[in-house]
Amino acid sequence: MEPVSPDRVSDAPDDRFDQSVEALIFASDVPLRDEDVARAIGEVTGADTTLEDIVAAVERLNAAYRATGRAFRVEQWGGGYRLATIPEQAGVVRALFEQEAEKRLSRSLLETLAVIAYKQPVTKPEIEHVRGVGADYALRQLMERGFVDVVGRADAIGRPLLYGTTDRFLDQFGLGDLSDLPTPREVEEILADPRFSRERAQLLAEWAADNQPPPPPADSSEPVGTRLRVVVSSDSPPTPSEADDADG
Amino acid sequence: MHRVHLRDFEGPLDLLLFFIRRDEVDVYDIPIARIADEYLEAVRLMQRLDLDEAAEFIYTAALLIQIKARMLLPRPPAEDGEEPEDPRAELVQRLLEYIQYREAGEQIGEQFEERQRRFTRGAANDERARLGPAEDEVTYRASVFDLLSALGAALERTVQASAVIHHDVVRETVHVDEQKDWLIARLTDASEPVTFRALAESRTKEWVIATFLAVLDLLRHQRLALRLGIEPEDFALEIPTATPHEHAALAA
Repeated sequence: MEPVSPDRVSDAPDDRFDQSVEALIFASDVPLRDEDVARAIGEVTGADTTLEDIVAAVERLNAAYRATGRAFRVEQWGGGYRLATIPEQAGVVRALFEQEAEKRLSRSLLETLAVIAYKQPVTKPEIEHVRGVGADYALRQLMERGFVDVVGRADAIGRPLLYGTTDRFLDQFGLGDLSDLPTPREVEEILADPRFSRERAQLLAEWAADNQPPPPPADSSEPVGTRLRVVVSSDSPPTPSEADDADG
Repeated sequence: MHRVHLRDFEGPLDLLLFFIRRDEVDVYDIPIARIADEYLEAVRLMQRLDLDEAAEFIYTAALLIQIKARMLLPRPPAEDGEEPEDPRAELVQRLLEYIQYREAGEQIGEQFEERQRRFTRGAANDERARLGPAEDEVTYRASVFDLLSALGAALERTVQASAVIHHDVVRETVHVDEQKDWLIARLTDASEPVTFRALAESRTKEWVIATFLAVLDLLRHQRLALRLGIEPEDFALEIPTATPHEHAALAA
């Protein structure tokens, strides 16, 4: 985004237009779509407003907010424009709303939501196949939160319900539309990621800690083993004999 | 302590992935015999601890064992020079797909947390409106047994009271819809909450049941407000002064 040119006079037509856009976005408490902005301005001024005009105005507004240290920005979420406070002020605003803790979604909800978001429209059995677990609970939770809704029925036997994400999902995840979803990485890339092995080490440590048997009495000659064959220092690759098992 | 940890696995594929990562196994060449044994052992442990949790893992355990068995059988050499299908192929395919969605889940989770640090205009109202009815519902659900015991007590009283007062046998028909209208009228006139006990005083069993059903329906539509805890086996009713949303706004 380009910074505002500081030499504009305050009554320049651009300024009036920017103010109108700003007023509309400010007054709306739902994401405000381009066409709503254009319609409202058109009704009053009779002028045609293009998408580019609005985008440019929003950019100028944001540049001005940044330059003057304002605590909000115009964001394009859930198919429209919204004014949102800057993340640096999350603490005080949260305190005002008396939210005890940051809202979090469990991993199972996020995984289910990811399957729906990327595969939509998708049936329940399809969701369950990807994760290998029943999706009833997660689906209900996601629908209760308004992130997911029934979008139709599949043409398959029994006409199963099709699920998809909502505008609220886009808004609450800071996405303009579905094309803003992060591009999933290739599997090879994920597997090669050093995070993969870091996480592995962490998993290992947790697993070992949780399965640590109580310290044996001093005179015990029993080996301190765990049922799950946890080897804390198993940084070595599987031994050849074990690997051969598989090809047996 | 095991239980807490096993809950960390979001499903059978997640557990399988755990073993694969832990042992630094090549996903494309899973030593199925070893992994199947480890997996089965984990599922057995889970079963001992929590049968419900284990159920979803058993299918995958069975699948692993089946693949293990097929791996052990000599595979017929392909006649037309094509590679014989690896018994693991389908499982690997599923696992790879799962890995991608798992990661996508993490990514949108980060996105969500970032977004939750931003506040929009009307966010507070939005949140209250969304949470309001759900909270009411929870309160309501928790009180159903109280309501039922109140009904039980009221019916008990009708038996005692009618035995003394009524001698003539008249078949009385009471409609739930009529009772709804009656309740609204009766409670609109009242200056304070009226107990169900007072409403049901020396009425017939049919009347009490129909009125109770009317109460449930009116509560469901939030046309009545419920007050509990007056007496162990009673509750009071009143016309709500504000809609649930207004309630939430006032309370906040």
